[in-house]
Amino acid sequence: MKILSLFISPLLALIIGLLFLGISRKITAKIHWRCGPPVYQPLIDVIRSFSQKSISHGAFFDFGIILSLSSSVVLIYFLPVGDLYAMTSGGLIAFLYLMLLGPFGIALSSAASGNPNSSIGVSRKFLLALAYEVPLLLVLLTVMTHYNTISLVEIVNIQAGTGMAFSSWALVLPGIAYFLILPAVLGVRPFEIVSAPQEISSGPVAEFGGKHLAFYTLQHALQLFVGLALFVNIFLGGGTLFGLLNPIAGTVWATILGIIIFLVKMFIVLVIELFINAVYPRFRIEQAMRYLWKWPTLIAFVGLVIVAILN
Amino acid sequence: MSLELLIMFAFGGAFLTYLAGKISSKLRDIFALLCSVALVVIVSSLYKVETTITLYNGFFGMPLSMRLNPMAWFFAIAIVSSSALVVLYSMSYMKHRERTDYYYFMLLLINAAMLAIVLSGDLVSFFISWEIMSWSTFLLISYNRNAALPAGIKYIVMSLIGSMCMLVGIISIYTAFDTITISEIVQHMATATAGYKLFLLIIFSITFGIKNAVVPLHTWLPDAYAESPSPFSAVLSGMLTRMGIFGFLLIMFVMVGAENSLHMGRGFFSYHNILAWLGAITIVIPTFIAMLQNDAKKLLAWHGIGQGGYMIVGIAFGTSLGLAGGIFHTLNHAIYIILLFLSVGAIEYSTNGLRDLNSLGGLFKKMPIAFLGGLLGICGLIGIPLTNGFVSKWLIYKTLILGKAPFLAFATLLGTWGTILSVYKFLHNLYLGQLPQEHQNIKKTPLAMQIPIVILSLTILVFGILPGLPLKSINAMIVSFGFTPLTVSIWGISSETGTLNMINIFSILLVVVAIFWLIFQAARKSTAVDQYDNYAAGAAIPKDKYNYTVEFYAPFYRMATPYLRDIFDMLYQKIARFTEFACDNIRKIYTGYVSDYIIYIILFLALLISAQLKWSVF
Repeated sequence: MKILSLFISPLLALIIGLLFLGISRKITAKIHWRCGPPVYQPLIDVIRSFSQKSISHGAFFDFGIILSLSSSVVLIYFLPVGDLYAMTSGGLIAFLYLMLLGPFGIALSSAASGNPNSSIGVSRKFLLALAYEVPLLLVLLTVMTHYNTISLVEIVNIQAGTGMAFSSWALVLPGIAYFLILPAVLGVRPFEIVSAPQEISSGPVAEFGGKHLAFYTLQHALQLFVGLALFVNIFLGGGTLFGLLNPIAGTVWATILGIIIFLVKMFIVLVIELFINAVYPRFRIEQAMRYLWKWPTLIAFVGLVIVAILN
Repeated sequence: MSLELLIMFAFGGAFLTYLAGKISSKLRDIFALLCSVALVVIVSSLYKVETTITLYNGFFGMPLSMRLNPMAWFFAIAIVSSSALVVLYSMSYMKHRERTDYYYFMLLLINAAMLAIVLSGDLVSFFISWEIMSWSTFLLISYNRNAALPAGIKYIVMSLIGSMCMLVGIISIYTAFDTITISEIVQHMATATAGYKLFLLIIFSITFGIKNAVVPLHTWLPDAYAESPSPFSAVLSGMLTRMGIFGFLLIMFVMVGAENSLHMGRGFFSYHNILAWLGAITIVIPTFIAMLQNDAKKLLAWHGIGQGGYMIVGIAFGTSLGLAGGIFHTLNHAIYIILLFLSVGAIEYSTNGLRDLNSLGGLFKKMPIAFLGGLLGICGLIGIPLTNGFVSKWLIYKTLILGKAPFLAFATLLGTWGTILSVYKFLHNLYLGQLPQEHQNIKKTPLAMQIPIVILSLTILVFGILPGLPLKSINAMIVSFGFTPLTVSIWGISSETGTLNMINIFSILLVVVAIFWLIFQAARKSTAVDQYDNYAAGAAIPKDKYNYTVEFYAPFYRMATPYLRDIFDMLYQKIARFTEFACDNIRKIYTGYVSDYIIYIILFLALLISAQLKWSVF
């Protein structure tokens, strides 16, 4: 299973990530009373980008973007999608650290280009990351303390036995907090401060074209996938649905159905997020930081206090 | 035998280096290097040797002794190897400075004193070596004169307070147990009362807390790190400050003993828990203050304080895993912070002393080796997987999360995420972005400065991918403290509650990077462009002013600057000023008139007589 998922997981994540990018553009367009591009547009763009001209500011400029995409793929190996996962070493802590390698690679690459717009974008990205990591760390610590484990797979397995984490009342508050910060984690509206095309020429991406842009888009798709999948894994029980698959447990069908359930859950979360967020204008970075450090942090903190007292 | 040889080499080498400098500077450089390499060889030959020797028997009837055990060896090897690298680096860095004889003498003397500290088997030789270290450190901190002098004064005042505390502790131990030998104190400790043990813990914690810069005793550190010559900043931050950690280990787990020091007090108000919380505060506040710094070395200095907090938290939590994490982090921190200071030093060397983050940039094309050092150094500092800092931080996080201390865990994690911001600013403003015109033709980094940087960079990766190498000897140390050993293998740590296997992550990342690199190469080739050829949304690009470094996190500064002040430093400054003012006024009683002095005497006698009449004291 692990060997198989080494090949399947990244492909699945890339395709689903790109598809979700397309879907989110389409839904946002419909909400705005526009027609919008077809759902498969991001996939076409990636393929087209590979054949187009690009510029390079040196070896380090190339290295950063390769590192970023690669580490995002490694991240996928840590992430259980239903029964699909390849690695467990280091648990959720290693996962958290690997999550930062993706943006870090892009930051190195775009700063090597010497474009000030990129630097502004990167500075915004790190500030935004600091802003959402505070509640995110609180949320993840709450979950790890509640289940008394640092293993992501184990968290999912415990939920498979007891139903969704969301249904246990101690984890309701962290769940809400994660849902509130999810758009910031995914970098979608109203938190698209980092790229902000009208202000800073797309920020970190300003110098990327051709294959660099293709790599960046793939990384972005994976990031979207990881953000949603982490929420599904931690709070919505991963690829299980209240023991629906228990009668056929262990068979190939159970695995495939598990993956499908997982993807459907991800899709539902994405759509709800889009419905809420498509109508907001973009925050300024201070507003975003103030928002993220106010309600989500407060809710997550109260959640952690409750779980710490219960233990 | 070889323990005496080691001490002789260390101290004798320092003096002889000074004398050699009087003959020729080349001879001195080579002699200093040979001497420090010889120390590395001797210490590594003593691996797994446990021995005790008596150096001198007649110190007021007390024996002065040296002892070698796993803890002493671990710190000794770290001290001598970092010192050897720094001496090699100094050969180029200090070449055209003045007073170099004195510099080398002090550097090697500090090295010898640190060795003597970790090897000392009794408290008097510990104290003597501690004082040699403190005083020679003071002399080297103020080596650059000007701004360095007040930094040195600040350091020595705080260091003296620490030394006095230690002296009180040593004298009280001598009067209580009638011995100064550490191994005998351990046996006597069983009979001591809990209150006395707590007194010892607190009084020594002040000493070691000042040395290790635990908030609120940290205020000497930022100036001292920033103002001393860069190679010495490396020694200072890497090993010298961490003598505080050695001291904490000595007092908590050797002298007082783990079973006592971890059960002192009750609930939240226990000794080790309060220490852990001080560690957590030490992590969070300095890390965020670091973000506001515009001086490369000061930024690193604040991180030096912050990272010290991780070690304190790990040690104070007092489980095998936490202890291993704390000690391992001490070693890792030494490696990457030395590397970072050497990297900044290389820039200082090439740009004639510039280290202002707002006026540099784009140096990665001119100084690739120093850039590599800076990059791997900050990766280690953040704790990015596959670098050494990740493993030790992982151990600490895991301890805290599974040890039911989520708030401490939150403080440590928050510190890491704050670290990312400031060290990225460090890397970006020095090496990335656009290269200013005036730095187009800077001096090349000499080979003697490149070699230490390359060695340390490789060490970061090796310890990150094969953490078992150092963890094995750390395990021996933990066992000697009476803790259960960890299941350590060469590539990581295995346990029922979560395995860490670094070689696993490394190989998979390597394969994935290789695949994507191939895809990248197979795609259409990109055209190389220079730094001025970039997209500005149609605007004309002014050369040399088109960079983004000043106020790198402007929105954050606007929000946080009012809250991020070093209140303790301000408090101490206020106390210092008040003392100065008070003393200045008290001085005025010396008027120079005999009649005034006679009045003082009469008043004093009158006071005594009235006291005798009222309370009959005498």
